[in-house]
Amino acid sequence: MRRSPAKPSARLVRLALLVALMSFWGIRASYAQAVELDTRVLFFHEPAKGSTMTVYTPSADLTVRPWDFLSVSAGWEADIVSGASERVKAGPLARNPDITSGASVKDTRHMARGSFTVKREVTQLTIGGSDSVENDYKSRSFNAAAKTDLFQHDTELELAYARNWDTICDAVHTANTDPTLRQPLDDSSRCFDPSAANRAERPIRTDAFQLSWSQAWTPELVTQAVLTGQLQNGLLSDPYRAVVLTAAGQFAQEHHPDNRAREALALRAAYYLRSLKGAVRVGVRGYRDTWNLWSGTVELEGEKYLLPWLRLRASGRYYNQTGAMFWSDDYTGGEPVHGPRGQYWSGDRELSPFSSFLVGGRALASWTADERRIAGIFQALQAAVGLDVLFYAYRDFTLAGRAPEDTRAYIGTLSLTALF
Amino acid sequence: MSIFETAMLATVSVFVGAGCVTVRPEQRAVLADPIMQFQGDAREAAQRQHVIENREGSFGGSSVKGGGCGCN
Repeated sequence: MRRSPAKPSARLVRLALLVALMSFWGIRASYAQAVELDTRVLFFHEPAKGSTMTVYTPSADLTVRPWDFLSVSAGWEADIVSGASERVKAGPLARNPDITSGASVKDTRHMARGSFTVKREVTQLTIGGSDSVENDYKSRSFNAAAKTDLFQHDTELELAYARNWDTICDAVHTANTDPTLRQPLDDSSRCFDPSAANRAERPIRTDAFQLSWSQAWTPELVTQAVLTGQLQNGLLSDPYRAVVLTAAGQFAQEHHPDNRAREALALRAAYYLRSLKGAVRVGVRGYRDTWNLWSGTVELEGEKYLLPWLRLRASGRYYNQTGAMFWSDDYTGGEPVHGPRGQYWSGDRELSPFSSFLVGGRALASWTADERRIAGIFQALQAAVGLDVLFYAYRDFTLAGRAPEDTRAYIGTLSLTALF
Repeated sequence: MSIFETAMLATVSVFVGAGCVTVRPEQRAVLADPIMQFQGDAREAAQRQHVIENREGSFGGSSVKGGGCGCN
């Protein structure tokens, strides 16, 4: 399987031109008070023998604030992926362990996005959207968020909503084909080509709602509670992945339920330590969904000024989840550890029980102009570099009985933000 | 009283109690500092969250902006 880089669609180019024009209009028409250019790149690397995964995510966003009450933002982001993934997931009881041989993956996603924010004294409304395309996936989204301050700005409430209209490429299956006989998509060639007889398009609809409450309790303590809900409908499995279903080696395309309702509650606190000129932030999150997957997350961060223009952040994160109710590492054997889990089957390690641990750090330097602009151009400059290391511990997931090797990942970030 | 009713009562009580708290404007300098913001660098947080959540079965608790997949 080889997925070649996608060409940006005409609608994507039109959208990018439109938002760029809007930003330019904002500058010209208003003698802009501020223009912010944010550029950054994220580097993800998951080393493993035979299945290394590398992702570059560059992005650029331009924000114009022509008046105090209005800001308009337009941006672009890409995901440039190269690596390998297991095409057929076999369990430890399968007779053909070599069936898990990796398949190369190369793909590029381009995303154009834009938003505008209107501010009043204690309220703020943001409307935005995005359009993205990759070889085998298209996405169009809308989002809106309304925020208000109460009780002399000590309380902040925000209500947010996002809607996705996505389309995923799939192999053609006739309507009455039993899921156990469906074969996976072989590659992404001719996806979204109306004349391709062996390609189908499947919709995915996602609605997400969020309510957040931030509260200042003292001059040094602020807390936040965030409640999120999400509804998904459509093809929620990987069309390329197949799962071995019988000891004889028969496999079929991964088959997940078409609906999923998810909810999460996060609680956070930040406390400023005057003696250290720094802050500690702690957070916990609980999550559950209708696939009976439960998870808990604990985050701890400390950030401190070393110099007035330089601050360092250290962060740690522990994550633990149960498996989805239909998850099994082997659908060919017997219950309970191995064997069938009803009408659905999955080779997705993200639905297996596992825990992960993250440690990382970031250095951020920022400069603000006084009377004269920095280098005669900038009102402010900010640069940051960060590195996180992720460790995964899979309790059940194997590749034909072998423990996966790609259980460590590195996330590097680099950013430069300029205010003109 | 069910767990849900207890949780709702506790939430409403804490919210009403929050109205009694006042941090004076001259005391807000620390609260306005970037290191006291939960989403101080929203774009960095969104990018990191995207790659981390791509490898987990969970979602939520940070921001909802839409825009699928890039599921690598």
